[in-house]
Amino acid sequence: MLRFLVRRTVAGAAMLLVISTLAFTLLYLTGADIARNLLGDNASQEAVDLRAAQLGLDRPLGERYLDWLSGAVRGDLGTSWFGGSSVVDLLASRLGVTLSLVVLSTLLSAVVATVLGVWAAVRRGWVDRVVQVFSMAGAAIPNYLVALGLVLVFAIDLAWFAPTGYTRPEVSVGAWLASIALPVAALTVGCIAGTAQQVRSAMIDALRQDYVRTLRSRGLPERSVVYRHVLRNAAGPGLSVLALQFVGLLGGAVVIEQMFAVPGLGALSVASTRQGDIPVIMGVVVVIAVIVILVNLLIDLAQGWLDPKARTA
Amino acid sequence: MRRRMLAFAAAAAVLLTAACGGGDETATGGETTGSTASLVLGQIDIPASFDVLGYASGTKMQYFTAVYDTLLRQDGAGEIVPGLVTDWAYDDTRTVLTLTLREGVTFTDGVALDADAVVANIEHFRGSSTPDLSNAAYVDTVTAVDATTVEITLTEPDPMMLTWLTQPLGYMSSPESWENEDVATNPVGSGPYVLDTEATVVGSTYVFTKNPDYWDDSLQLFDTLTMSYYADQSALLNALQGGQVDAAPFSQFSALEQVEAAGYESNVSRLDWEGLMLLDRDGALDPALADVRVRQAINHAIAKDSILSAILLDHGTVTSQIFGPSTDGYDESLDGYYTYDPDRAKALLAEAGYADGLELTMPSTSAIDQALLTSIQQQLADVGITVSFTDVGTNFISDLMGAKYGSSWMRLASSSDWQTATFALTPDALFNSFRTQRPEVDALLETVQKGTEEEADAAAQELNRYVVEEAWFAPFYFVDNVYVSQPTLDVTPAADMVVPYLYLIQPAA
Repeated sequence: MLRFLVRRTVAGAAMLLVISTLAFTLLYLTGADIARNLLGDNASQEAVDLRAAQLGLDRPLGERYLDWLSGAVRGDLGTSWFGGSSVVDLLASRLGVTLSLVVLSTLLSAVVATVLGVWAAVRRGWVDRVVQVFSMAGAAIPNYLVALGLVLVFAIDLAWFAPTGYTRPEVSVGAWLASIALPVAALTVGCIAGTAQQVRSAMIDALRQDYVRTLRSRGLPERSVVYRHVLRNAAGPGLSVLALQFVGLLGGAVVIEQMFAVPGLGALSVASTRQGDIPVIMGVVVVIAVIVILVNLLIDLAQGWLDPKARTA
Repeated sequence: MRRRMLAFAAAAAVLLTAACGGGDETATGGETTGSTASLVLGQIDIPASFDVLGYASGTKMQYFTAVYDTLLRQDGAGEIVPGLVTDWAYDDTRTVLTLTLREGVTFTDGVALDADAVVANIEHFRGSSTPDLSNAAYVDTVTAVDATTVEITLTEPDPMMLTWLTQPLGYMSSPESWENEDVATNPVGSGPYVLDTEATVVGSTYVFTKNPDYWDDSLQLFDTLTMSYYADQSALLNALQGGQVDAAPFSQFSALEQVEAAGYESNVSRLDWEGLMLLDRDGALDPALADVRVRQAINHAIAKDSILSAILLDHGTVTSQIFGPSTDGYDESLDGYYTYDPDRAKALLAEAGYADGLELTMPSTSAIDQALLTSIQQQLADVGITVSFTDVGTNFISDLMGAKYGSSWMRLASSSDWQTATFALTPDALFNSFRTQRPEVDALLETVQKGTEEEADAAAQELNRYVVEEAWFAPFYFVDNVYVSQPTLDVTPAADMVVPYLYLIQPAA
């Protein structure tokens, strides 16, 4: 177990290094005039040159990357070119918002998709077909359209929720839940659709196994067969797809945060990209990469716990 | 579609009722006429920083005018009115400007806003890489004559100087605050509001509270002022329809009716022109553009009315000039100077020796409406001019300034004569990339810059006519700049700014 963890951590760190090198190189070598983009169209060349020098853009790229890396290793990702706040602080203030959307979405999806998937697999017939159709549609409709529909109905026509904005949980938990309800719902629809499909087919596969017949022939109640044994066997593929969905949700959050004006990582990445705030973009890249690597590690651990055979893999 | 959406929305709602017991949102905005409890302004931009490196106007203007007073103000019609400065006068050479300051104003940290503070601010601005550094291009020296008198000496007359003092060059922040760790996020000014850093989420929501000691009793202040940033036009539209915002700039013309139906009023100003810049007037890259007949042919080839309807849904005014309606050089009769006349365009091209057509390469970028580029391409092709667009991505502006393209689509501000000249006409103008220079233009520019007001106005008119007749550009239209607001507010659009200065937004009487 320990060896597995060490191996995975080293691989993760190597992955991070590669990603950050690539991102850094790509961001600084776009060929665009970085300082010009920062200052806008009406700035004089004098101001542009001065800013470029202040940001050290005239120094060699390798040297600048090593500077950044030595800071990053110590947990310092530099300062934003806009507003001078530290990138780590900015990310910290935004990360919680995005994680609350994505984690809630994932949990909600896991529960609902499992119920739907199991239901469809056990009952088959019309229930199965309804779940199938829902899954196809949910996966096909882009989340911003779902979001738009939700806003039109629940925020503008019915006025149950505010169409945009975010309330911090420390201000009021109720208001916080109300403010993230629609964004979470918009994210969740597609996620449920994708996961339910997987759970359904994994369950159908598992139900066809010989041991199920054996268990039934021993007179075990059907409930116990389905929920204790079959579901546990089917959980692996379900978890894998959930992990994929989670990563997908991080991407989906970019669009959804924009639409609901929620100050999360997604909104931050768009704003900093628009402004050309490279230190912040780098920070977002690193954080997303860390999250994805961690999620994959957690999923592998969970797989091992569910299925002892996976531990040796 | 909508029914299917409803089904999904309903399904999602069922899932959510478990998670939350419905949300009662407190409605934002002044519900009663003229309430000064709160004001929520929608924003389409965020300030880079509150310190001098981030000073900006345009779409970022309101953030700064909330916390910083400006030396001078504008009345909305483009006239300069007192701000922190009560009196101002030029000498005969128009190179020495004397400013008389209001007495007894202090920054919110208690530092006196006297002549020394003003001098320090202007020097601080000049010594930085602030984006609007060119505001101070002609400033030679700044001296405090006494506690309430400042003298600015210019290297040569700057017709824009008073305007600059209503904008970033005129932002006054406490010199004591420049050394603070949090200077970028915690501004200290003398303005009507103070930023509440606790409640503010940088890059998203900025919350301000009333400055209780504000010197200007003529302004009605709101107890709290919130500025909410919407990166996405549809998010802004939703916020407007949900009544979450009291006022905001709005450029999505296709949805303007929905916003008006939700009870907002449109305040319209015209600041920018859109059209083609025919930059290579001496034929360095595109020899054809050196012939005035070719440039005139391009003007006659464009069906401005149809492009205006298709692209801006008629929210604009067709024109042939680049001097905006609020400038002194503007001449209404020039709006219709070049009519849509493809036959005339072909004849002009034939006269110029291009009966078999010619080719032009223009830069493009994804930010430009592709339908617009297609229309331009098609209409010019109809008279024999083949246009190919090269996507230059984020280098659009730098490529234009670098004279890499002889002609290009552009949207340019034109809210004063000298701004128009320095953007597009002077030999070293930002967008006179090929450095076109003509003796008659030089003479007129000289008068616009250095003459008395009457002389300058007349010269600007003459200059405008020359540039139209010589077809230096092929303008299509002036764009409506729309700022929507609730009827509880009294909004005066600014003559030179995409959003109204904060002091031009008042509770309705």
